[in-house]
Amino acid sequence: MIFIGSNAAEAHPVSMQHILHAKEVNNAPVIVVDPRFTKLAAKADEFVRIRPGTDCIFIMGLVNEIIQKGWEDKEFIRSRVSGFPEMAASCSQYTPEEVENVTGIPAAQTRKVAKILATNRPTSLTWCMGGTQHHIGSSITRAFCILQLVLGNMGKSGGGTNIFRGHDNVQGATDMCVLSHTLPGYYGLKDGSWKHWCRVWDVEYDYMVSRFKEKKWMNAKGFTLSRWYEGVLGEEKIEQYTPIKAMIQWGCGSNSNSQYNRVVRAYNKLDLFVIIDPFPTMAAATCTSDNVYLLPCSSQYETSGSVTSTSRQIQWRHKIVDPINGCRDDYTIMKDLVQRLGFADKFYKNIKEVPEDITREINRGTLTIGYNGQTPERIKKHMENWHTFDIDTLQAKGGPCNGDYYGMPWPCWTEEHPGTPILYDVSKPVSKGGLPFRNRFGTEHTYEMSGRTENQLAADGLYNPGSEVKGGYPEFKDVVPGTNWKTDLSQKTLKEALRRGMAPFGNARARCVVWTFPDQIPIHREPLHSPRPDLISKYPTYEDQPNHFRVFTRFKSEQNPDLVKGFPFVLTTGRMVEHMGGGAETRSNKYLSELQPEMYAEVNPKTGNDLGVRDGDMIWIESPEGGKVKVKAFFTERVDEHTIFMPYHFGGVLMGESLAGNYPAGHEPYVSGEPANVCTNYGYDIVTQIQATKDGLCKISRA
Amino acid sequence: MAQRKIRNSSSVGTTTSRVTLNPKVARRSFLKLSAATAALTTAAMTTRMTAKAATSAAVKAAYPNSKMVRSICTHCAVGCGINAEVQNGVWVRQEVAQDHPVSRGGYCCKGASAIDMVTSEKRLKNPIKRVNGKWQKISWDTAMDEIAGKLTAIRDNDGPDALHLNGSAKVSTEMAYLQRKFAAFWGSNNVDHQARI
Repeated sequence: MIFIGSNAAEAHPVSMQHILHAKEVNNAPVIVVDPRFTKLAAKADEFVRIRPGTDCIFIMGLVNEIIQKGWEDKEFIRSRVSGFPEMAASCSQYTPEEVENVTGIPAAQTRKVAKILATNRPTSLTWCMGGTQHHIGSSITRAFCILQLVLGNMGKSGGGTNIFRGHDNVQGATDMCVLSHTLPGYYGLKDGSWKHWCRVWDVEYDYMVSRFKEKKWMNAKGFTLSRWYEGVLGEEKIEQYTPIKAMIQWGCGSNSNSQYNRVVRAYNKLDLFVIIDPFPTMAAATCTSDNVYLLPCSSQYETSGSVTSTSRQIQWRHKIVDPINGCRDDYTIMKDLVQRLGFADKFYKNIKEVPEDITREINRGTLTIGYNGQTPERIKKHMENWHTFDIDTLQAKGGPCNGDYYGMPWPCWTEEHPGTPILYDVSKPVSKGGLPFRNRFGTEHTYEMSGRTENQLAADGLYNPGSEVKGGYPEFKDVVPGTNWKTDLSQKTLKEALRRGMAPFGNARARCVVWTFPDQIPIHREPLHSPRPDLISKYPTYEDQPNHFRVFTRFKSEQNPDLVKGFPFVLTTGRMVEHMGGGAETRSNKYLSELQPEMYAEVNPKTGNDLGVRDGDMIWIESPEGGKVKVKAFFTERVDEHTIFMPYHFGGVLMGESLAGNYPAGHEPYVSGEPANVCTNYGYDIVTQIQATKDGLCKISRA
Repeated sequence: MAQRKIRNSSSVGTTTSRVTLNPKVARRSFLKLSAATAALTTAAMTTRMTAKAATSAAVKAAYPNSKMVRSICTHCAVGCGINAEVQNGVWVRQEVAQDHPVSRGGYCCKGASAIDMVTSEKRLKNPIKRVNGKWQKISWDTAMDEIAGKLTAIRDNDGPDALHLNGSAKVSTEMAYLQRKFAAFWGSNNVDHQARI
């Protein structure tokens, strides 16, 4: 098992019983790669301390070392991977010595880790936000996948890329695409995507067009959670016909945003700010103008619906009690709002029973990821019979769910399908939870860097048991004329594919070259705010992006080699077990507040002593953007002498001043503290615009 | 050594079955915090806000006429099972789910204190808005009426893209779907949630 940018012991504690089982019973070595010696690192056989933001070069360096030693899975690559020679040529520059120069990891340790991976297959690879929150986050995550492809670890029990997702239903909410660049089920924003969902919703496409300012805005990615406030502040150039004047924040703690002090300024500039949450979030305390409404929704224990875990298991969260006095559940609030806005008849056309009819509408429309067979009845049946599932295979042995995998992990193509517990597993028939890799990007491609043309379908002889075609095949279309497997609402295409033992989305190769990305093959680029100015010219960032989710986003013009002179420490953030997200819920929980009542910053003793700070002293931490927090210094060698760590769950204090009096009286959280994100730096991923909170710079001084 | 310990503690005859590493801890009764003991006033952090464990006899006895509801923890994405004991519509006690196939009786401190999501005194219990800088209670009807009125005016004057909706990874999949659908019917792609970051 290799963990990189994941501290499961604190962020996903109950997963540890499975991790420690693998370590102690199955003798699986545990490798933890992290800038900090975390609680998970304490359980590692091999702890690799990495400089924040250099994950990509370390992983591609491992890939290079594996290829140089001839340890790659040649048969897996031959039959199921594309773009391998191009990728191998690219990563050959990342020798263990160069990896050491950039990451600080000794060359001998890179070689050792490569050997551990090569001799312990399959390996499971896990990452979290430590891998993603960088300006090259999209390259880093692809590097993780390439490592697993090269080792032949995909589609196997005990292998795979197992991202441990954060919130309880971040998988479900992502699948439903509460996202500014796509419609539910990852359909995108093209005309065909809108037409598909209009058919599901049973509304005229022209009606939907009429709801937008102009048709072009239907197809344009919107502002993101990371940078919406730039649409309010007017300090960056935006690509939209109006500034943002109103905000509804529905179940979202705001202090998880980087440059949080700028977010606060945006709150106070809005014409209307609606916060819907069981607790007043920090946003309520920071917004002091008369534009703000707080609507008390119930907690998720006072309503019902499905939730999708990090293993794609769909569980039914039964209502435990009715909403407490004065609160309303989310569905009731939504219905009231939509009725008052005048489109309830169209919005709720096929939704009578809530939430079950909504699940059924999702089942009907979300063909792309196989959300079709998980009916409300089946999900509830799994809940009632969770004790009948085998704990190793997660398959029901007998009983009412016999043969199903727990929670019917998607894709679950039909009401008879058992769910897919492991993605891309060709050892099983598709109808029994097997899958090949998806064919999504054409059947052939000529690579820019080599001029080579490659068939993107899987090799002959590589197929799931029972497949009619004994090799690669493209995605299914025109089973019902004019439709494909993603748009055929009759679902005949899905059933036809399964009848023939084949996957609706084809049988193709996993790509090492993504020709639509700025970096077609993952390469290292120095963090935007780098502590190593000597590396910037060799590993520069990207060009500035004028219209990046509707806002000008700086890359090259932000990468200043002199910045480190004034801000000499790397700032990174993370979780603690007692709190969650922005902490609005957990800091209002008396048990958890008692367990972890204080904000702090981890400082290496040498750093502290050099600055004349003592353990337990209050210090100021300041960001290049002018954000600053006053926190207690906690001396520990968990961090090295160049790095400062802060947990990001605190709120209720802003730049040294308590906001306790700004909360509704009696509703201030039990525990307050400075939000770390006041100090997290400018910087966003080139593809996704995720904020770069893990590799910024800061300075510290005694308070 | 550690391996032997685990094997010894696993149930008879199932050598391949997994166990919590310290089943004793997993079953400790301090998890069974009674809601009745939670009726404490807003305490300063210098005093203990939480109560001690119930006696073993009290732990075993069910509340009269209570029912058990299976639910799922609302914190992280592991998706641990929760057995909630409900009496007369009140969540009175929570129990670990020993037979849940993923959590297997495990809880972290957040899961173990899930009940306070409902019982916390810090919960808001009515809509409020700021008037001249002060919080003021208002009815649901007034709040929704004013919000819908203001939204409509902004939509008419500035266009639908003048609204941004930050949705949630903490709501059900069905509700998340409605949030995205709402943005579509409102007429904007300015909608996002925590998965972005």
